[in-house]
Amino acid sequence: MSDPTPLYEARNVYKNYGSVAAVKDVSLTIHAGEIVGLVGDNGAGKSSLVKVLSGVYQPDAGQLIVDGVERHWKSPHDAMLAGVETLYQDSGLALDLTIGANVFLGREKMKPGILGRLGFLAQKEMDAEAAEDLERTGIAVHASKRTVGQLSGGQRQAVAIGRAVAWAQKVIILDEPTNHLGARQAGEVLAVMRAARERGLGVIFISHTLPHILEICDRIVVLRLGSVVRDAPTSTFTAESLLGTITGLHAE
Amino acid sequence: MSRAVSEVVSPSSNEGEPASWARRLVGNQQFMLFVVFVAIFAFFTFNDSVFASVSEIGNNITDFSTLVLLAVGETFVIATGGIDLSVGGTSGFAGVVGAIAMEHLAPHGEWVVLGVGTLVCLGVGIGIGLINAVLMHYARLVPFVATLVTMGAAEGMSLVLTGGAPVGSNFGAITLTEPKISVFSYPDIIIILITVVAGLYLHYSKFGRYTFAIGSNSFAVRAVGVNVRRHLTWVYVLSGALAGLTGMFIYMRLGSGAPSAGVGTELVAIAAVVIGGARLTGGSAQLSGTVLGAMILTIVSSGLIIMNVSPNFNQVAVAILIALAATFQALRKGSRADV
Repeated sequence: MSDPTPLYEARNVYKNYGSVAAVKDVSLTIHAGEIVGLVGDNGAGKSSLVKVLSGVYQPDAGQLIVDGVERHWKSPHDAMLAGVETLYQDSGLALDLTIGANVFLGREKMKPGILGRLGFLAQKEMDAEAAEDLERTGIAVHASKRTVGQLSGGQRQAVAIGRAVAWAQKVIILDEPTNHLGARQAGEVLAVMRAARERGLGVIFISHTLPHILEICDRIVVLRLGSVVRDAPTSTFTAESLLGTITGLHAE
Repeated sequence: MSRAVSEVVSPSSNEGEPASWARRLVGNQQFMLFVVFVAIFAFFTFNDSVFASVSEIGNNITDFSTLVLLAVGETFVIATGGIDLSVGGTSGFAGVVGAIAMEHLAPHGEWVVLGVGTLVCLGVGIGIGLINAVLMHYARLVPFVATLVTMGAAEGMSLVLTGGAPVGSNFGAITLTEPKISVFSYPDIIIILITVVAGLYLHYSKFGRYTFAIGSNSFAVRAVGVNVRRHLTWVYVLSGALAGLTGMFIYMRLGSGAPSAGVGTELVAIAAVVIGGARLTGGSAQLSGTVLGAMILTIVSSGLIIMNVSPNFNQVAVAILIALAATFQALRKGSRADV
């Protein structure tokens, strides 16, 4: 693509569970300002690959390269510090905390001076910044003092995605972010992804909803039985050929 | 297209409506608890004017002081979704160990005795908190079982060390729990200060933030790189330390280390937290609610005594209060459309 060095690259990655190879020799690149769709049937290895990319699992073989530097994640937090944010299927929000508290969870801002050193939070500052961050990613928050538990499912998902996009410096991995959402809310999530792309992030979008994939992705990577069977620009797919490639029922 | 801004949260609909302030006040658990406290206080005073006398208020504050630190520690623990059954046993055991240590220190003068005694009580509490954490993290016991184990061990060890009788008599210490500033003794004031600081930390610090977050969704907290185990260890150590201090306070009040002093008090502490509006599954608690809960429990038990009701009814009264508080909480939740 335009930038020769990918933001994030997986090279010949393997992941086995005992004798079962979940991910076999997968290579994948994500460039800045690109949305890459990752699709495949159940058991194709999407989840395992995502967990390797996000640092939950360590690959049994292969390399993970961020901005040209090989990385070895010991935890998802490692990946996060390197600019790779992941949004999990079961969203990682604390429902009893406010929107602002959730956006800053794990990266709290402290009060200046002695109060901060004593461990006190700069809550007003975080609330204001959280609202700003979410707005920049396409989500308006009117009452960040509310707890996330008081929001609807779609709103929660929007906050989770907004948080991930706000913090991601390089790559954001979204695992089924439009699941369980209505058409309008799913559309909002897609808009957030477009905003992330405009900000120059690389986006990996995992979904079973093929119309969403075809609508928004620049490139689609199809996994089958743990291997990449096709990695090509979205324009080269039709709905039928994409489905055929996923199921393997007709030649790509 | 990417400018599309979705409306995540619509502004609260009843804002500005007339009478919404009244609804908000009734919906505020702290306010309702305060009303209940005043009502109970008025009821007992009406029945017997002794109840509102300075000396009785002083007694109530001393009773409150033996309870509130246990309840403060319990609030942190319950906010994480855990439970600490060991605080009562810990306070008794700390008082006994402290009393024995202080007896040996007697020749060194009062301030050495009290200073070192406080540290010993604190140390015993921290030690039991650490044991709780080890049992949870390494033996993989759930908090209920881990702290049930240490509760039994602490209560048993208190009996073993003392043979069941009070030890280390130091009747001079009792004077310390007499009112010095208005109706407050010096230890009362220290305990109130600790409670205020604990409240600030629970609600405004990073430590408190993680405490609630773990009770709400520990997976999410771990995912953002917080060491959940270490945090929980600190929470149980805090609970143990406050129980240890309570042991020292009880020692000063009784003038000796009484092995059975703390037995059963963990349930009163938990009751204070529950009446205060905390959710036992974690994620939600208010230290001000806990304090009000402890105040209500304190005046109920002393009021019943003044009314010559058999002390055996005290537990029944506590049970009724818990049931009322829990019902109130459930009703309030049920009436909220957005849950």
